[in-house]
Amino acid sequence: MSEPAGILGFMTLAAEGGHGAASSGGPAWFAAVPLLPLAASILCGLTIAFRVKTKLPAVITVAALAVSFGVTVAGFLSWSNAGHATQIADIYEWIGVSWGSDAGQTLSAKFGFYMDGLSWLWMLFVTGLATLIALYASEYMGHDVGKGYGRFFAAFALFVFSMACLVMGDNLILLYLGWEGVGLCSYLLIGYFFQKPSAVAAAKKAFIVNRIGDLGLAVGIFLTFVTFGTVEYGPLFEMVRQGVDAAGRPLSGQWQEWVIPCLLMIGAFGKSAQFPLYVWLPDAMEGPTPVSALIHAATMVTAGVYLIARTMPLFLLDDSHFALTIVAWTGTITALLAATIGMAQFDIKRIMAYSTVSQLGYMFAGLGVLTSVGAAFHVFTHAFFKALLFLACGAVMHGFAGQLDLRRLSGVQKMPGWRIVGLTMLVGCLNLAGFPLITSGYFSKDMILAQAFTTPGEVIAGSRWIGWILLFTAGLTAYYTFRVYFRVFVGPQHFEPGEELHAADHDHHGGHDDHGGHARDAAHGHDGAHDFHPHPPGWAINSVLVILAACSFLAIPTYFMMTEHHGWVGSMVHSSTAFVESPGSHHVEGAHAERLGTFLGMDPHKVMYYVSGLVGFIGIGIAWFLHLSGRTGAATSRADALLPMLGPVPRWAQNKWYVDEFYEAVIRLPLWVLASLFHWFDKLVIDGLVDLCGLLPRWFARAIRPSQSGVLQGYAVGMAGGLAVILVIVLIVMGANV
Amino acid sequence: MNLLIASVPIVEKLSYLGPEIVLFVATVVVMVLGLSPNHGVRRSCAGVSIVALVIAGVMSAWLPTPPHSLLPNLMPFAKMLVAAVGVLLVMALSGTVDREYESSLGRGGVFDGLRSTRGEFYAFILFSLTGLMLCASADDLIWLFLALELVSLPTYVMVSISTSGTRSQEAGIKYFFLGALGAAFFLYGFAMLYGATGTTMLFGDGVTPGIAEVLANNVATNGNIGGIALVGVVMSIVGVSFKIAAVPMHFYTADVYEGAASSVSAFLAFVPKAAGFISLMLLLSVVGWGYGGENSSLPEVLRVLLWVMAVMTMTVGNVLALLQTNVKRVLAYSSIAHSGYMLVGLIAGPGASGAPLSQNGLAATLFYLLCYGFMNLGTFAVLSCLERRPGEEIETFEDLRGLCRSYPILGWCMVICSLSLLGLPPLLGFAGKFYLFTSAISAGEIALVVIMGLNSAVAAFYYLRLAGAPLLEKSAGDEVSGCPYRSRGIAAALSAASVVALLPFAGRLMSASDKAATIRSPHAVAAVEPNAAK
Repeated sequence: MSEPAGILGFMTLAAEGGHGAASSGGPAWFAAVPLLPLAASILCGLTIAFRVKTKLPAVITVAALAVSFGVTVAGFLSWSNAGHATQIADIYEWIGVSWGSDAGQTLSAKFGFYMDGLSWLWMLFVTGLATLIALYASEYMGHDVGKGYGRFFAAFALFVFSMACLVMGDNLILLYLGWEGVGLCSYLLIGYFFQKPSAVAAAKKAFIVNRIGDLGLAVGIFLTFVTFGTVEYGPLFEMVRQGVDAAGRPLSGQWQEWVIPCLLMIGAFGKSAQFPLYVWLPDAMEGPTPVSALIHAATMVTAGVYLIARTMPLFLLDDSHFALTIVAWTGTITALLAATIGMAQFDIKRIMAYSTVSQLGYMFAGLGVLTSVGAAFHVFTHAFFKALLFLACGAVMHGFAGQLDLRRLSGVQKMPGWRIVGLTMLVGCLNLAGFPLITSGYFSKDMILAQAFTTPGEVIAGSRWIGWILLFTAGLTAYYTFRVYFRVFVGPQHFEPGEELHAADHDHHGGHDDHGGHARDAAHGHDGAHDFHPHPPGWAINSVLVILAACSFLAIPTYFMMTEHHGWVGSMVHSSTAFVESPGSHHVEGAHAERLGTFLGMDPHKVMYYVSGLVGFIGIGIAWFLHLSGRTGAATSRADALLPMLGPVPRWAQNKWYVDEFYEAVIRLPLWVLASLFHWFDKLVIDGLVDLCGLLPRWFARAIRPSQSGVLQGYAVGMAGGLAVILVIVLIVMGANV
Repeated sequence: MNLLIASVPIVEKLSYLGPEIVLFVATVVVMVLGLSPNHGVRRSCAGVSIVALVIAGVMSAWLPTPPHSLLPNLMPFAKMLVAAVGVLLVMALSGTVDREYESSLGRGGVFDGLRSTRGEFYAFILFSLTGLMLCASADDLIWLFLALELVSLPTYVMVSISTSGTRSQEAGIKYFFLGALGAAFFLYGFAMLYGATGTTMLFGDGVTPGIAEVLANNVATNGNIGGIALVGVVMSIVGVSFKIAAVPMHFYTADVYEGAASSVSAFLAFVPKAAGFISLMLLLSVVGWGYGGENSSLPEVLRVLLWVMAVMTMTVGNVLALLQTNVKRVLAYSSIAHSGYMLVGLIAGPGASGAPLSQNGLAATLFYLLCYGFMNLGTFAVLSCLERRPGEEIETFEDLRGLCRSYPILGWCMVICSLSLLGLPPLLGFAGKFYLFTSAISAGEIALVVIMGLNSAVAAFYYLRLAGAPLLEKSAGDEVSGCPYRSRGIAAALSAASVVALLPFAGRLMSASDKAATIRSPHAVAAVEPNAAK
């Protein structure tokens, strides 16, 4: 450090936005997008303080989020009309530290918004989905009115505020604020049922695993600042475009050009549940289902994708694409691993969780193989159909007293009042499975698959294998998705209510038992069924499901709009920092056409429509054969007969490949041992030193206490003596100086 | 033009003194109102005082800039600060005197003007605040001396009459005698300064050189300000440090604060302290910070003196507070410690011209004074709101226990204000300390910053006790009851609210302090001189 540090404007209100970047200024009313949810969160907090016993918190939250969505749409339209130029709206001078006037000696982070296609795309589905899911939650959480209801919506609205900061922020610090904010809300909401030990454990797990990623992100931001001297996107990407650091030195060949993206990538892996940090997401399903749908499927977990897309120029700095190759392969491995685990689970919400992890893997693979458009489009379509799937599962869980085991539910769709849930679930499943032509998930997944085959291996190492693995995973996805649908929603009718019923009236049944055969093959489950009737969802849940199903269809035509950019999402990404010239896109076609990868000698972009559709069909077909055709009960299916042939593999998959146990043994246990050692060292040595330090001031105090005798003359003598001593010292020092 | 102004200095000076004149008029009015046999009229004293303070504060915003002061923008800031904190102080001080007498009147007595002290009490408050404002306006040693004494003399009486017990009288006597001794010190210092420079004017008015110009001249010719002047400055500093309760003039603090009513202690902890710091700022700006290696510190002797005083003051204050069970004594020692912190800003000095505001130590001190005014007032006001028996305020940790449950607002005020005194983010005290730290680091006073940090850690011990007793502990009995004066609680609540709510505006307040603490160089003033003479 060359100069002492100082702070320029410590949290000063920026009187006027004096941004030096070339982008046009955005209007300050963009701030309503994050601030309305914040206000809703505060109001919900007040309803807790005033012990409101009505659904008021839901009304506040839904209204605020709806208006926030409206503002987002208005902002998006004004941005579109302004010609898709990046708009930067400075609201507030948030952090301004300066310790010199050279480049890189001022840390400035404004509370401002960097609105380009990427931010608008994300904000549109974040606020839109948040509104819908808040509406759904108003009914879903109805049993907690007056208890946790206000707490739920306060955290829910705070989440939307944090997500908006993350997405809209015009610098990495504000992104980090949002990043930690969504992490906090995720923690609070996973642990919503804090009386349940498993929920508390899941919340802690999510928080701690995310810390690892957040550390990477934090260090990445530090290094970005140290290298480029700024954390604001405008100047940062301008410098990246020129390929120079803060001092104007070229970055080419420097270690920063691959270390920074790797660090940011670690942050993205944590938040977006990628291998090896994915373990928290399945456990996060302990939270209420609307939370799983919004935070752990549609929005927060895509923050990692957003981060990489946003900082794509940093990733492209390195010509060898070191970090992007890791991103691509991590995504691919995660997609495959999570899909295999998902195939062997019985808890439908957990299956959806693994499928989220798997689909996030697709998005990362898409980013890695240089189709940020494909990744963003998959985020966009996935947000709708995965939220839909979760909410449909949530409706089942809500109606069957917490029952989620696909062996204990069957034929739900035919039960009275469950038609909408069943049909919308079918829509979601078709999307997730990539059913050809009529589903948006098909188009977005295709984009990634085709690009994986197109991108040459010398750009992203092994891109061809990425393509094959993802294609195989697509088949697995179709299988496990329809395994759920065929087991739970169609087939013979059967249900057993879940734990929540037993919790309510445990006097007639000594707890829920899991041993085999019990009441499984009866068409009417005998325990609970005599006094339990599933309550089908009401208007709020049904209408939200229908809207989401419609949205997942409406996403299809956007693919055929603005075809020069590969759809509407493509045009949004095109006018953002996430844009990357995909190998094989028409801009470079011709010159490098011979170097592009092919799919068995054909153009992947054309042939993939057929191949992936076929793979999807095969997966669905296998699921139909194993889990629907000829099935007479809820608990068993033809698949059970196949299991012994596979040996212990299904059990391993069901136990999640023992990854958690591996982490326990390799990471947690040694750390625990180390922590115990440190604990004793701390207790014996450090505490002793601290106690000693604590005693010193007291001894000193005892020593000087007599001077406070309360005697006037003593005080006067003290003052005069003090003056005398000072004068003597002054004269001595003066004598020495003169 | 300059000659014309110089020939009518009183006219020029009166234009700066609008707020003081308003307060003085209010003083006279209040003194008369307090003697009215009508109860309602007597009660209006506080209202009149507050109105006068508000008017004075508003007037301060439009004060003209004095052309010859070294700290030309100090006046509006200081006067507005005094008015703002003054309003809260008057609210906290309501009902301090005459409580028994008024209640006996309520039972059917006949009003006797000789026995009523209400009018003079409010008049003393306003006198003292007027003195404080005059300190900020001072451009002459004699003026400064009179202003400082105008601050202090009323407080001696206020301490004595604040409660009916003998402890207050004892405290008043101690305060008076020791205060007189302190005044003698700095008066002697002022005399020596006059002897060394031949003028009592702090800054030249463009025609005759002031002390600043003479000292600058001495430095230009001899390389130092001269022995007599140096001893004069040292004695002035030591004398004035009585007002800020800095070592070695701190002895009175605990006894006086303990003996006086809590609200009067709050007054003592802010008003004389503010006067002392403003005076120190003026005195030091006369000497200037253009010495040392990089021409950015005080003369070495003064730097060392202030350094030692700051370290001793904060350390003595903090460690003595550790052993106390009496909250008022704790707060008294904390007030000593905070003076030590604020001295750090004076050592750091105004920084280079054009430097970021975070390097301006004087601004940091002014800003800290503002923060301290609110958070200190909050703690004392809480104490003054609660009593064990009518007229006997609470004063031990024991009495504070469980306050957040029995009196939630007061309890939380105590928690917030004591945490802010500790400097915990995100409260105002944190921002205040932050700027003190940055300015000291910029000035290269790393050791001082480390000592200040250690002291903050020691201080955490008793501030956390102060916050923990109301928040975490359970109240032992129920002998504590609220006092009948609602405005004290409002003052506490407003102070605590300011401590929280002003943080987003910390940057703005700090830039205001920075503006107020911008020093004009005496050399520049001297350079104007030949032109002005033409």
